[in-house]
Amino acid sequence: MFRRVLVANRGEVAARVVRTCRRMGIEPVVLASEPDARAAWLQGPEAPEVALLEGAAPRDTYLDMDKVIAAARAHRCAALHPGWGFLAENALFAARCASEGVRFIGPSPAAMRRLGNKIASRRTMKAGGVPVLPGSEGVVGLAEARAIAEEAGWPVLLKARSGGGGRGMRRVWREEELAEAFAQATAESEACFGDGGLFVEKFVEAGRHIEFQVMGDQHGNIHVLGERECSVQRRHQKLIEESPSPAVTDGVRAEMVAAIRRACLAAGYFNAGTVEMLQDERGRLWFLEMNNRLQVEHPVTEMVTGLDLVELQLRAAAMERIDLEVRPQGHAIECRINAEDPEQDFRPAPGRVHRLRFPSGEGVRVETYLTEGDSIPPQYDSMIAKLIVHAPDRAAAIAKMEAALAETAVEGVPTTIGLHRRVLADERFRAGNYDTRLLSMMGI
Amino acid sequence: MAHVPLRPIGRPLVDVGLSPENAQQIAQKDAALEAKLGEVRAGWGADAAARVHEKGKLTTWERIALLCDPGAPFLPLNSLVNWGRSFRGSKRLAPGAGVVTGIGTVAGRNAVIIANDNTVASGSWWPLSPEKIERAQQLALRLRAPVIYLVDCSGLFLPEQALSFPGRTGAGHIFRMNSLLAASGVPQIAGVFGDCIAGGGYMPIISDRVYMTESAYMVIAGAALIKGAKSLKLTSLDIGGPEVHVHQSGCADERVPDDPTAIAMIRREVERLPTSAAPFYRGGTEPAPPRFDPEELSSIVPADHRMAYDMREVIARLVDDSLFHEVMADRGQEMITGIARIGGLYVGVIANNVLPTDHPDEPGRMRAGGILYREGIAKISAFSRACNEDGTPILWLQDIAGFDIGVEAEAQGLLGYGSSLIYTNSTNTVPMVTVLLRKASGAGYYAMAGMPYEPVVQLSTPLTRLAVMEGRTLAIAAFNTKLDDDFEIASPDPAERAKIRAAMEETAARIESDMDPVAAAARMDTDEVVPLAGLRGYLVGLTETIWQTPRHSRNPRIWSVHDLEVLTRNTGRAAAAAGVKAARVVEQADLAEGEVAVCVSTDGTFWRRASPRDPVLVEEGADVAESTTIGLVEVMKTFTPLKAGRAGRVVRFLVGDGAAVQAGTAVAVVG
Repeated sequence: MFRRVLVANRGEVAARVVRTCRRMGIEPVVLASEPDARAAWLQGPEAPEVALLEGAAPRDTYLDMDKVIAAARAHRCAALHPGWGFLAENALFAARCASEGVRFIGPSPAAMRRLGNKIASRRTMKAGGVPVLPGSEGVVGLAEARAIAEEAGWPVLLKARSGGGGRGMRRVWREEELAEAFAQATAESEACFGDGGLFVEKFVEAGRHIEFQVMGDQHGNIHVLGERECSVQRRHQKLIEESPSPAVTDGVRAEMVAAIRRACLAAGYFNAGTVEMLQDERGRLWFLEMNNRLQVEHPVTEMVTGLDLVELQLRAAAMERIDLEVRPQGHAIECRINAEDPEQDFRPAPGRVHRLRFPSGEGVRVETYLTEGDSIPPQYDSMIAKLIVHAPDRAAAIAKMEAALAETAVEGVPTTIGLHRRVLADERFRAGNYDTRLLSMMGI
Repeated sequence: MAHVPLRPIGRPLVDVGLSPENAQQIAQKDAALEAKLGEVRAGWGADAAARVHEKGKLTTWERIALLCDPGAPFLPLNSLVNWGRSFRGSKRLAPGAGVVTGIGTVAGRNAVIIANDNTVASGSWWPLSPEKIERAQQLALRLRAPVIYLVDCSGLFLPEQALSFPGRTGAGHIFRMNSLLAASGVPQIAGVFGDCIAGGGYMPIISDRVYMTESAYMVIAGAALIKGAKSLKLTSLDIGGPEVHVHQSGCADERVPDDPTAIAMIRREVERLPTSAAPFYRGGTEPAPPRFDPEELSSIVPADHRMAYDMREVIARLVDDSLFHEVMADRGQEMITGIARIGGLYVGVIANNVLPTDHPDEPGRMRAGGILYREGIAKISAFSRACNEDGTPILWLQDIAGFDIGVEAEAQGLLGYGSSLIYTNSTNTVPMVTVLLRKASGAGYYAMAGMPYEPVVQLSTPLTRLAVMEGRTLAIAAFNTKLDDDFEIASPDPAERAKIRAAMEETAARIESDMDPVAAAARMDTDEVVPLAGLRGYLVGLTETIWQTPRHSRNPRIWSVHDLEVLTRNTGRAAAAAGVKAARVVEQADLAEGEVAVCVSTDGTFWRRASPRDPVLVEEGADVAESTTIGLVEVMKTFTPLKAGRAGRVVRFLVGDGAAVQAGTAVAVVG
C-alpha cells in the first residue's frame, strides 16, 4: 500500500479521504489554498500535513496542474487522490500524473477518454448493451436534428457540445419550433463557449435520476454496487440521495448491473465510477453519462453495502485485487447541508459559523470538515456537510433522518436544513413517488 | 529527470487561427494531392483489376487490406514515384512505379509491406521501382521491422532496362538488401501470388518463409525463353510452379490454394514473432491524441510561404496531449528543441521557430525566424547529439529559409557551425524522421536532416517548397554579373534590360515548378506528400515502428539531454537579457500629445501592402485596433506582420513602401 498520499482536494472531500487514509495507516497530505489553510481541522498536532498552495481562486490553486503535481512531488507522495470536482475527471491531469511518476487514484487516462467524453461513452455503453437515450451520435445540423427527433419522438433537448450550466440548451416540444430553437441554441453556445456545435437528445419530462456505482480493479474485476436515487434536485443540483431507489425493480437492476459490467470491462475501466441514468415515465432506464470518479453521494452506497469506497479506490490503485460479495442491506438517505440562503433564492452564503451541533448515534453518519468558529470561504462550493442515515427500511430511514436533522444546528450562516425537513415531510417523497420536478412542484 | 516534466502547449484556434481563406487554400491543395494519390492507387484502372480477378487473384490493394489488421491504417510511402513520367515502349505511365510500399499493422506488429502492383503491367519493375523497393527495405533494416513481400512481378520492364538494371541501385540491389536483412536477423516473409520472372523470382527466395499460391510460379526465365517450350506445350507454371518449387526444388516452403489463404498464412507467421516492445517503452503511459485537433493545422500554417506563424502551435497539434518539454528555450530562440511523446513514445523534436526572436547579443534588436543563426545551430547540434546518445528518435520539423548569410555570419564561422551539425546528423544512428512543413531551402534543408542525411522517412506536405533557394534568389545568383548592388538590372539599354528580365523570370518560374512537392516525390526526393492533417497519423505509425523492437535507448535518468539542460539552465544574466524585449511602441519626443510611434523590431524591408498589386493594408487616417496589421516586415522572403500595438488612428507613415528598415526604426505614428 502507499506510504503517503496527496489528497488533492479541500473541505469535506479532503476530510473524507483523510479519514480512510489514516484508518489504513497511510499518511495523508492535504492540499490547502491560502484561505483554506486557516481551517480549524488543519491546525494543531492532530492535523494532517498540509501542502500549501499560494493563492485562493480555484484556477490558481486546486485546478493548477503544475502546482498540484509539484506539491505531490515535494511532499514525497507516491499517489494522489483527486476526490471529486476540481481535477478529478481531467484525463490530461491523470496522464500528466502518470508521466511525472505520481499515481493518479482513478481510472486510466485512456478509459477516462473513452468514457468521460459524451460521444465516446454513448458508443461504449451501447456496445455493452446499456440502453442509451435516443439522440445524435455527435454534433448535428438542423436537418439531421429533425430526422433524429422524428425517430426518437418529441419532445427533444438541444444541447451545446461545449456546454454546461444549461447554456445553449433548448427544449423543443414540436417540429414547428425546432428551426427557431436550433438557431437560438447555436447562437447562445457560440456566444458562451465559442463553439456552436449542438447535440440532440430525447427529452424526458418527468424523469428520475438514477445512478449506478462502479468499482473495478486492474485485474479485470468490475463490481456494480447497486444504484442511488438522486431525483431530489434543485436546478440540476442534487439535494437528497437514497439507496435503493424506490423505483427500480430487482429485475431491472440485475439487467442494468450486467450490461454496465460488460461495457466497463470492454472499455478497460478500473477504479471508481458512476453511471448516470434517466428513468422515463414508463420506468425505462437510459444511459446519460459516466462520471469517472467518486461521487459526493457515495456514502449512501457505503451505508447499504458496508464498504469503504475510498479504501477500495486506494487498493485498486495499488494494484490489489478487489474481490467482493455484496448484498446491500436496509435503506440509506443522504441530505446535503449547503450554506445557502433560502430567503434569497438559495444564494451561497459564506461566513463564520458561531455554533455547530451534529447528530450522532447508530446508523447516523456526518461528513464535514467544519468546526465551530470556522469561516466558510467564498471562493468554493457551498456544501459544508452531509448527513447520512441507515435503517432497516425506507420509512425508518426517513424517520431517522428527521430526527438527525432536528439534532443538527448550524448558526452564523443560513443553510438548507429547513428545506430538507420540508421535503422529508412531503407526501410524494414519503410515498417514494417523485421525479426531478418534485421541488418545483413544492414551489421551491 | 526520470519523470520528464511535459507541459501543456498550444492555444485554441479561436485565439491563433488564420482566416478561413487559408484553410480553403490548403483544402484545395489537399484535394489536388488526394486526386493524384487516388490515380496512383487505381493503377491501370478497372480493366486491369478485372483481368486480375479473372485469373482468380486479388489486386494488390485487396491483398494489403486483407493483410493489415482491421481498422489499423496502412501508411503508404513513395506513392508518387514516377508521377507524370512517361517511358519508351509504353503508352501508359507507371503509377507508383508499379509497386506499393509502406507500413502496415499485421497481427499487432508494424511491418514494412512491399507489394508489386499487379494492375500495372503485371507488376513489372520500371525505372525507380528497384529504388522504391530498396528504400522500404532500408527502412526495415534500420528499424528492424519485419518485411512482408507480396510478390506478383513479371520482371523488368524491358524497353527501359538500361535505367533499372545495371546501376548501383539497379534491380539486383534489391537482392543484396534481402541478404543484408537476413544477415541482420530481420524477419522476411514472402507470399508468391503470380508471375515471378527473373528478378521477381529472386526477391522472395531469401525470405524466411515463402508461400506459393496455385497461380504462382518463380522462374529464372519464363517459357518464352525456353527452347522447345512451345512444341512441348510447357507453360511457366509447369516450369516453376508450386509443383516444382514446393515439392521438388524446395525454393518455397508451402503451397496454398489461393490469395486469401496465403495472406492468412503470412498473418499466422507474423503472430509467431515477438510482440511489440512499444507498450514497455511507453513506461506506463498510454497513447493520447493531441488536445488540439491536427485538422486545425490548416488554420495554423499560412499557405503563403512568406508569412510567419507560431511553430509551437504546430507541435501542439502533433504530439500526445499537446504536452512538450522544451529544452534550452532561452538559447538560440530561432530553433525549438524539446521532448514530447507521440503514440505514448518519446521523441526529440527539433523545429524552426519562424517568428522573429531576440538577438542574443544586442538587446532590443530582433531577428527574423526560419533562419539558422550561430546559437540555433549550436543548440540543435548539441540536442541532436544528445538524442542520439540517449536513443531518442528525432523528429525534424523544417520550415527553413537557409543559413544566415553576410559579413557577420561568415565572421562568426557559420560554415564551421553548420559542418558540426552536418557531422552530427551524418553520424547519428538514432532513427530520424524529417518533415518538410513548408520551406526547405539550401543548406538549411541539409543541416536539418533532409533526405541526403538519410532520415528513415522524409515527409513533405502540399505546402513544401524544396529547392536550393527560392526562384527569385536563384535568378539573382544566376544573373549576378548583370545586376547592380541592389540586385536591379544594371544595363541602361531598354532592349537588353527586357531580355535579362525575361530570362530571370523564366529561371524563377522553372525553380518554382521544381519546388512542387509532387515533383520532388516523383523523383523520390521525398518519401511521401502528406496533408498537414495527416502528419500525426504518419508520425504515430513511424514512432510505434521505431520503438517496436528492443533498441538502444536510455531512460530519462541518464539522458544526455538532461545534462545539456542542467548546463544551459537559465542563469540570472540570461534571464535578464530575455527580459529586455524590444518595446514595440516607443514614445518619441517629436510626437504630439497622445501619439506613439510604431517601430519595427527586425532589420528588413517594410511593406505597406501584401503584394505590389494589393491595396495598402491600412490607409493614413484609418482607425486601427491594437492587433491590426499595419504593414509587413520582410527578411529573407519571410514576412512578419507588424501590429499597430495600440488602438487609435494612423496619423502618418514615416517610411515608404519597400523602405529598408533597421530594428527600432519608427515606421508609423498612431494617435
